[in-house]
Amino acid sequence: MKVIIGLIFLLTLLDSFSQEGKKVQFIGGARSLISQTGFSSDDSDTVTPRKSTGGYALIDLGIKINPNSNTEILGMMRIKNDFGGFWGGGVTFDVRQIQVKGVAGNVVRYQIGNIDYKLSPYTFYNHNPDLLVSSFSTNRIKEEVLNYESFYKNNNTWRQQGAAADFALKFPKGIKEMKFNGFITRLNPTNFTNILERFFGGGNVVVNQSKYLTLGVNHVSTFDLKQTALTDNAYRNNVTSLTYDASWTNDKIKIGIDGESGFSSSYSTQNMEGKLSDYFVHVKGTAQLKKLGVNFKLGYMDNGPDFRSFGAQSKRMDFNQVNGFYERYTNAQIIRPLSYYDLYNDPSLYSAGISTRIMAINPAINNVLPYGVATFNRRGVYMGGAFSDKKKIVAFDATYYRLQEIRGQGTLQLRTFHYLNTTLKIDFSNWLKWKKKQVFQLGLAYQKTNRKSEFDFETIRLNSLTANAGFEFEIIENLSVLGNAFLFQCSGNETEAVRNASGEIVNFNQLTIDGIENSFSGGIKFSFTKDVYLAAFYESNSNSYNLAAPYRLNQLMIYYIMKF
Amino acid sequence: MKKLSLIILVLISIVACRKKEHDKIDGPSLQDLNGQFTIINTLQASQDSVDFSVGETVFFTASLSKNTAWKLRISGLSSGAEKIITGLSSSLDASSSLWNGSTSNLPLFRAEQCKVELTFAGEPDTLVVYVKVLQPKTNSGFIVADFENGFNSGWGSFTQSGANMDFQIKTDTSAAEGNDYLNMAGTVNWDWLIGLVNFKASAYGASTLPLPSNPNAVYFNVMIYGEPGLINSIVLFQFQEDDNGDGLFTSTSEDMYSIEIPVNWVGWKLVSVKYSDLLCLVNGATSTPAGNGTHDSDKIQQINMLHLANPSSGFAKAKIDYVIFTENGPLIP
Repeated sequence: MKVIIGLIFLLTLLDSFSQEGKKVQFIGGARSLISQTGFSSDDSDTVTPRKSTGGYALIDLGIKINPNSNTEILGMMRIKNDFGGFWGGGVTFDVRQIQVKGVAGNVVRYQIGNIDYKLSPYTFYNHNPDLLVSSFSTNRIKEEVLNYESFYKNNNTWRQQGAAADFALKFPKGIKEMKFNGFITRLNPTNFTNILERFFGGGNVVVNQSKYLTLGVNHVSTFDLKQTALTDNAYRNNVTSLTYDASWTNDKIKIGIDGESGFSSSYSTQNMEGKLSDYFVHVKGTAQLKKLGVNFKLGYMDNGPDFRSFGAQSKRMDFNQVNGFYERYTNAQIIRPLSYYDLYNDPSLYSAGISTRIMAINPAINNVLPYGVATFNRRGVYMGGAFSDKKKIVAFDATYYRLQEIRGQGTLQLRTFHYLNTTLKIDFSNWLKWKKKQVFQLGLAYQKTNRKSEFDFETIRLNSLTANAGFEFEIIENLSVLGNAFLFQCSGNETEAVRNASGEIVNFNQLTIDGIENSFSGGIKFSFTKDVYLAAFYESNSNSYNLAAPYRLNQLMIYYIMKF
Repeated sequence: MKKLSLIILVLISIVACRKKEHDKIDGPSLQDLNGQFTIINTLQASQDSVDFSVGETVFFTASLSKNTAWKLRISGLSSGAEKIITGLSSSLDASSSLWNGSTSNLPLFRAEQCKVELTFAGEPDTLVVYVKVLQPKTNSGFIVADFENGFNSGWGSFTQSGANMDFQIKTDTSAAEGNDYLNMAGTVNWDWLIGLVNFKASAYGASTLPLPSNPNAVYFNVMIYGEPGLINSIVLFQFQEDDNGDGLFTSTSEDMYSIEIPVNWVGWKLVSVKYSDLLCLVNGATSTPAGNGTHDSDKIQQINMLHLANPSSGFAKAKIDYVIFTENGPLIP
């Protein structure tokens, strides 16, 4: 064991540990929203209310206690008062977060309670496959609220209940260090009859050989604990993968290759003949021209049709849901399907955890990679580039995917997919050297799905375009003018797979899609500090996906957001 | 760069190993769900005539443009017997349409011309072909009575002297099997019993019926005809066992098991029962057997068949045919 010179605890101790030794801190946030909505349909609708007023005020109050230098206890409570509630009416008290974390023996870092966790993009990862274009301006405010409510962090973690631990070993030569991570969470409790206690656990070992090569072995398992209910039919989903990241660099250029490959198996212990097994390969080459600020990438992915990884294929949004806001309209009280308006405005539609079934998708929104890069039954290449100048005036990136199904759905003919995603950001203030921020951002996502066949009922042609253009112009100190234009247009046809509870396709729905949703918004934002601001804006959203009953939503929103 | 090359080589090797998916699809075929239905090859029989009595079979072929729910109806033009075969496929072949002469709806097939019709769910097309049955299927088992040779002189019988009494063997095309059946009809307004027949083992040249001893393997089968508009007939079968082997049935010390069949249907119906499932009945109520209490199928000395009806219900009528014991399963007609 000469090689091992010592055990260290690797990851940086929590911020609070270094905060001047405070034993008790108050953290949290507060938010208030007031909205006035006007709803109109082209149909002679005399049933649906034309106006509605809503909103709430909430405070998340957390107490962080450090009983000693190696332990932190966090409890957070939410007090929420819906707009119109008074003297207890409409007021709710919830526990938002409970967590204990610390370092055991100065070696192993642990977390118990609510943990935010991820491993790798194919094992345990919170992809964001439905908000395709990067948000800006008014939409960014909304998306930040969504993310905060559903515990979505920018680092693609899922909020889980369970425990996690990690530690690292350092070596004097040969290998720089090895990191060990492990976690266990509970997905659902037993009902003591036919539903077993279900857990999700796993871990990885990441070997950092040098700054040029990093290898990792990841494994996750979704499993039912036998003897926790009367049934013995336990479910298993196991995913094992190898992650790799190798690079070479000099003063001018950096080239590298990274990716993840592995395999999965899914089965019930009493239905082994129904076992699904498959593998995936994802590899990406990169090149960075340092002086020019240009990056290129070229990737290949091959995700088997039977590859299942619920930790990575769970979607934030299940499109089988019914709207909670103006869920029906017109005199016939038809259902108003989920739209981008709802995706940006209703946090209650988002999943807070992973699901062990194949969640419903919306092919109009994302038909190419509806479960992120972990989408099963996809094979093909992608390429892209990014540019940012040294003065940070212009930043541009684009990625183009050319994918195909591996196994046909209902036919031997395969779908082919084209997907272009691009973002352009221009910072006029850096260009003109103004102190006040003047930023414009444009995001585009274009998707095209084709399936050729001699039969009309097998032929698919579907095109969709999602675009968002926004600006934030600071006109006087801390006061910005916001503007945003959003467009979502889709036309064509698709054959939507209908799946049973086991995920098997049992039928197909023929979809004909032809509609446009656009949204224009504008307003002001006053920033008291970086984390405290007041924003007021007006939005006009129109939706024509139901040609017979298009509708319009006009909304005035006032947000007050504070983090402390 | 060597490391990069090695990683690429390994990944290419993995991808090259993927099993072929070209002949697989996920989910049901879209062609089946949405494709146009057309008949590619019309209905044909593997042979024009068939002798089921020597074990011959016939099957039918056809091919379609897509998987379709189909129904093959074979009907005897003389007997009216029906055989129904259904399936969900894009073709009919020996594995899906084999006919061994069996019957789905009584009566049984005879030596006759049969019409074979192939129809499809949701489609108007009907394909027709004809097959001649040279000899019907023979069923293995011990036949107690098929009435084809008249009233066995070894049987006993009794008929009440009521009104419109007809307790005789009839010969006509309405028989369930062959040409003959026992007609049981009459009005008896003072008693439940209309008439009875005693099928004695001695009529078959033995002291007990020649049946296996395992009551779980012995099945009693009878075809009973329910008259349209009359649901008051009850057919009661009593199985008298000679437990002590003295050649007699003693009701106070030997077992008698029974099955009471209310004839509340119209037309011919096959009734089958496992011998071990028979109960000891006294006036229709379950009782304790008087003998050893075991179902001794190899000790049946006599079967009594009673045609009963509520005296206040008026005229009652039923028919029986093809009383047969089978082994290891009910009769498959």
